[in-house]
Amino acid sequence: MNNENEKEPNFGRRKFLKGAGVAAVSLPAIVASQNGEAAHPAPLTHLAQAQSPAPTPPQAATPTVPTSAGYQILSLDEAAFTEALVDHMWPKDQLSPSGTELGIATFIDRQLAGAFGQGDRLYLQGPFRKGKPQHGYQLALTPAQYYSSGISGASAACQKRFGQSFEKIAAGDREQFLQDLAGGKVKEGAVDLAGWFNGLVYPLFVQGAFADPIYGGNRDKVAWKMIGYPGLPAVYKQDVVRFRGMPHPRSTNPQSIQDLS
Amino acid sequence: MATTLKEREVVVVGGGLSAGLIARRLVPLGRDVLVVERGAPRSGSESQLPSQRDELRWGIHRGLVQRENVETYTLRHNPDEAALPMRRLLSFLPGFGVGGGASHWNGQTWRFQTTDYVLRSHLEQRYGKAAVPSGMTVQDWGIRYEDLEPHYTLFEKLFGISGKAGNIKGEKQEGGNQFEPWRSEEFPLPPLEPSEAGIIFKSAAEKLGYKPFPMPAANASRAYSNPDGMKLGGCQYCGHCERFVCEANAKASPNLLLFPLVVGNPNFELRTHAEVFLINYDKAGRRVTGVTYIDTQTGEEFTQPATTVVLGSYVLSNTRLLLLSSIGEPYDPKTGKGAVGKNYCYQTVSNVSVFFEDRYINPFMGTGAYGMVIDEFNNDHFDHSALGFFGGAFINATITNGRPITARALPPGTPRWGSAWKAANAKWYLRSFNISCHGTSYSHRNNYMDLDPDYRDAYGRPLLRITFDFPENDIKMSDYVTQKAHEIAKASGASIVGTPAPRRGPYDARIYQSTHNTGGTIMGTDRATSVVSPHLQSWDAQNLFITGASVFPQNSGYNPTGPVGALGLRLADDLVSYLERPRFL
Repeated sequence: MNNENEKEPNFGRRKFLKGAGVAAVSLPAIVASQNGEAAHPAPLTHLAQAQSPAPTPPQAATPTVPTSAGYQILSLDEAAFTEALVDHMWPKDQLSPSGTELGIATFIDRQLAGAFGQGDRLYLQGPFRKGKPQHGYQLALTPAQYYSSGISGASAACQKRFGQSFEKIAAGDREQFLQDLAGGKVKEGAVDLAGWFNGLVYPLFVQGAFADPIYGGNRDKVAWKMIGYPGLPAVYKQDVVRFRGMPHPRSTNPQSIQDLS
Repeated sequence: MATTLKEREVVVVGGGLSAGLIARRLVPLGRDVLVVERGAPRSGSESQLPSQRDELRWGIHRGLVQRENVETYTLRHNPDEAALPMRRLLSFLPGFGVGGGASHWNGQTWRFQTTDYVLRSHLEQRYGKAAVPSGMTVQDWGIRYEDLEPHYTLFEKLFGISGKAGNIKGEKQEGGNQFEPWRSEEFPLPPLEPSEAGIIFKSAAEKLGYKPFPMPAANASRAYSNPDGMKLGGCQYCGHCERFVCEANAKASPNLLLFPLVVGNPNFELRTHAEVFLINYDKAGRRVTGVTYIDTQTGEEFTQPATTVVLGSYVLSNTRLLLLSSIGEPYDPKTGKGAVGKNYCYQTVSNVSVFFEDRYINPFMGTGAYGMVIDEFNNDHFDHSALGFFGGAFINATITNGRPITARALPPGTPRWGSAWKAANAKWYLRSFNISCHGTSYSHRNNYMDLDPDYRDAYGRPLLRITFDFPENDIKMSDYVTQKAHEIAKASGASIVGTPAPRRGPYDARIYQSTHNTGGTIMGTDRATSVVSPHLQSWDAQNLFITGASVFPQNSGYNPTGPVGALGLRLADDLVSYLERPRFL
């Protein structure tokens, strides 16, 4: 076994962990379980049994982020639209709970209320001109304002077409409406709704599903468990050989920032 | 009114790779070196667990990258259009802060091919003068590979590059790149462990008669001490390289290997929060006298006199600073006259995805240069006589990361949401990868940079305007190499092969392609068609030197950091000589 980590105490992870005072209990346990074991191939089931439960801190049994009791920035109508949207796009099924249960609506709310939604980094100087799609976003609105404008247009279009708001229409109608929205076939209100859906709503939806749970979505790391992403600490020097071409035991037991904090 | 400070000997603009290489050489000789960097020192959260592993913060919100609200670029696709600002910088990631882009890069470290430095001469000689299209403004660099070879060798040693040689002094080496330019020595570190994707790619490529090899990597395959005594840890394959600072001190960067050598020396200063907006130019005397900058923490302006100035900032900033300072003649695409801003190039990338029912790729165990590569279709490694284009690409399977917001390939026809989409993510995340083409970008008469007439940065200065689209030559090249990648994908045993996606125009500022912008202050032997001499000395000011990928007259099929490092080391040697006896080198 080529145990490089043991030879480089000054430049390995331990120095960082020690220096930062991070997770003094849980982290070294993970490091030990990943790097300290013999490298000879053992039956996978044994490894999985040996590794999976050990480092889980006690608080991981409860939801990693408190269940939201409300929204910071979304109005009641916007919240209803958003919850219906994420529940349609991330439905409850045999793989996972619904998008709202996963916290995707909460994630979107927090992102819009926070730095991103308030236009942090965004170049907002004029003149404002219409460009090609390849120029990217060209409006004077912050993402939070843009989100509201788009919901207002999409909701009006939904009312016109179905006589009801988006959260009240049938699943089949929702599907058709979203397909048309994404495909540029729904035109209502001031903003281009296809650009709004594909450029703002869809990325926020995906981020809410797959970002670290510390931001309010991906509650209990459900999306990571669903796809097999092991999360943190991600130290795989031995594993790239040991688990090359094989299931990695941590894929079923991911760790997040909170687990290591 | 700017406060004038005490004169310094050498002022380097930009605290990145070039500055680090120059300071490393000059400071031990007692030369006085001041590096001015617009960004801040790193705070720590970018390189510590657990915050380092935050995809949303560093990957999606690009926490280490130049802030668009302070400075961005405008884009138009040809000189007849109006340009619009990139209100978010998504397609490339200019560095900001100490270490620059070389602190949040992937680590793919190549030597440019021997033909790259003499591209026009080479193409005219091999295919005839008439074969080079009239709009293709490729030029020779004014140096040859032999001039850079020792500097490439030293750079690879300083940065602890892991790889396998394919050509040592003309002797072909089994397992290495059969097309690489000769090298004087083996790589300082052995290659990274091959990935499952690399093994699959290797076998498919060999079936088709190609010679795959491991990608040269600045992600250290094991702990390493460089000739300066600076140390790297072994790579942990955590999959957080590009857009991230390495948590394991295993990715070579100026912060780890260069600046710590000189910091603390009385004749060295790294001044952060200093945003240079002018190089002070004495046009009549054909000299620069220093730089003027804003202290971004106080808003105060300072003039910093210098006997010698080195522009070592990002490609786009190097060009913009020359334009803002009225040094040299701006390029005009109508007349072809002027050279500042000329020959802006990029990288022509494309890919095809492969999906395996029965293979675990485990993309989360990745690192920035964790690749298996073939080089048969790169640059001029194959006969272009009947092809109707020049250039090419290396084709590779590189597992840079499996970060879940972005790294989830899905088979063609997968819906974009709903239970079927979820199930496809659950099925394929662990079992797919991309076969990618990393292609040349050849200069075109219409692709250039100048100052935007309408849009300004946060300090009121004109933004840089980029006029760029993929030339027909590069579109044809991308079609050809992507077809070759598709053939490898089909030979890989994949259960599903994705739809090949060759590069198409218009250039899309919404999609990350690479931070391999090049040109604008190009080097050459003719002052009418270049900005700096073969020694990187400004034709318009003897005591101004410019380095970085802004001096490339066109871009190769390889990543630019290797030649940026080699040019920086060569310039450092030239500066030693220049400072002893200032003159035109």
